[in-house]
Amino acid sequence: MSGIKALGIDVGSTTVKIVGVDTEGKMCWHILEQAEPRVEDQVERFLDHTRQVVGTLDRIPLVATGYGRGLVEQATRSVTEITCHAKGVYREFGHGGTLVDIGGQDSKVIGISPEGKVLDFVMNDKCAAGTGRFLENTASRLKVPLDRMGDEALSVVEEVPISSTCTVFAESEVISLIAHGVPVASILRGLHRSLIKRTVAMIRTVGIVPPLMLSGGVVLNPAICRLLEEETGEKVVLPRYPQLMGAHGAALFALEILNDGSQVS
Amino acid sequence: MEVISVIPRRLDVINKYKEQGGYVAAVLPIHYPRALLRAFNVLPVEVWGPPRVDTSHGATHLQPYICSIVHNTLSFLQMGGLDITDVIIIPHACDSLQGLGSVLLDFVPPDKPIVPIYLPRGRRESDIVFLTREFYAIYQRLEAITGRAPSDADLMKSIRREEGADEVLIKLHQSHSCLPLTDIAFYRLIRSREYLPAETFIELAQAVLAKDIKKPRDGIPILLSGIVPEPMSLLEAISEMGAMVVADDLACCGRRLYPPGRSGDPLRRMAERIIYAPPDPTRGNPIRERREHLLRLIENSGAKGVVFYDVKFCEPELFDLPTLRCELQKAKVPSVTVEVDINDPLSHQTLTRIEAFLEILNERR
Repeated sequence: MSGIKALGIDVGSTTVKIVGVDTEGKMCWHILEQAEPRVEDQVERFLDHTRQVVGTLDRIPLVATGYGRGLVEQATRSVTEITCHAKGVYREFGHGGTLVDIGGQDSKVIGISPEGKVLDFVMNDKCAAGTGRFLENTASRLKVPLDRMGDEALSVVEEVPISSTCTVFAESEVISLIAHGVPVASILRGLHRSLIKRTVAMIRTVGIVPPLMLSGGVVLNPAICRLLEEETGEKVVLPRYPQLMGAHGAALFALEILNDGSQVS
Repeated sequence: MEVISVIPRRLDVINKYKEQGGYVAAVLPIHYPRALLRAFNVLPVEVWGPPRVDTSHGATHLQPYICSIVHNTLSFLQMGGLDITDVIIIPHACDSLQGLGSVLLDFVPPDKPIVPIYLPRGRRESDIVFLTREFYAIYQRLEAITGRAPSDADLMKSIRREEGADEVLIKLHQSHSCLPLTDIAFYRLIRSREYLPAETFIELAQAVLAKDIKKPRDGIPILLSGIVPEPMSLLEAISEMGAMVVADDLACCGRRLYPPGRSGDPLRRMAERIIYAPPDPTRGNPIRERREHLLRLIENSGAKGVVFYDVKFCEPELFDLPTLRCELQKAKVPSVTVEVDINDPLSHQTLTRIEAFLEILNERR
């Protein structure tokens, strides 16, 4: 794997991702793991693994992004996840639009210009409603595996309305609905609708400029794409590796450092 | 800078003023007639929360969706934080502050007088007349509280002193980017006007202005809009990210650069000063005026973007924001919105939003 010329690491709240790119900026290697409580140790382990692949890291710039970017002491530079996601997605699609990134504990909507620049963005507030944690919490309550949630939700037409304002309130509602014998699939569909309605409110804050592009681990859930299309009336497009867009963008910034064409300080 | 290190502490100022026979008023945000209070030998000491207070006291009487400034004020009062003051002035800046006035008058009455101020929503002649009458009502309340009855000449003397302090305040704002002060030092100085007597503030400010270095600082220039820059460490974080505040539209700072009054009638002159202050949503100024004011500030200061740093649940601010941001976008001025609770430390999300915004501005340079 000697083709790796630059690295990007995305230390998210739920997963940690590292991406290597070649001289053209093409993603040629990656690792993705669940985030561990001691992020510094996990990052060090990632870098050890990377050394085994590329030999030495001495001439390979590393850009860190994500929630824990400040903890990556080995990074040449850190860039926010907003800028990195936009960079990664633009590289993937080659056009601007509206990017919706739904992560584990964080979601954001980013307006991207036709040239790939961030025009505007909005992030969810501290509350976990509107993020992957919203689904995760209720999935455990319903005893449905996370990777089955979307299919289950799409398996029915009926759905029950569920609060979109608070993850904790939503969980209480779910308990009440189960007690009243509401089918699990209908509850799941209502939960997805609730998350999407919150996301759409964020999209409207930035303003929809088609196409709608998605990134983040949560978009692997098919119900997210389907309901987002329903709510917005817009076709949504997914990158090949939605979870790696931030790390890919970071790696592209690292490549710019290597090429002495840095655009982000 | 040494001048900043000698800004007197709030409690010391209050104690000294009282030792000299003066009264102290706790004044809630935002607009009030300083000169009127000082003419009665009452020192206004503003209460913008304060931050980091145990809010459980206020939470008994207020809903969770009331802003942290109001929550904290009530909690601070109930914990005895305002015991040292002689009177509480509550301007009707917003529904929440008006509600706080009702709570204090009807449900949790403190052992000191409550003086509400009803502010008109506009700049018409009738608004000036209304506010002048309102100030006359406050005159009568202060007369009853202090036993004093300042003459028109006394009032004009007090007005001129406050106009002098505000003139220096305006000069500080105009020279902001050329002063040998970090942003946090600058805003500590500006915000000392919240409790220092005008004469003390003038002395401090003039010492700083004398050191105007005429050389602009380095960094991405931004305009800060909102209510209050709390926690103040925000300003250090902005500097560390490579940016600098070159102008502000903050309720506690730039929106209170009161122009001199025109009238020879002291109460009317005080009213004119507030009515003709920079536009402020809490005084009902239309978004068009706010847009023009912001664009003027941006042009004069060279700011490259606007950070709207607002207190959560602040309705007057948040109602304006979508339209205001849209208007700025049309004028090709980027902006970002950050909402905070004044009790919280600077959050990672807040810093990320500002950092990402600075990355956008940096790309445009």
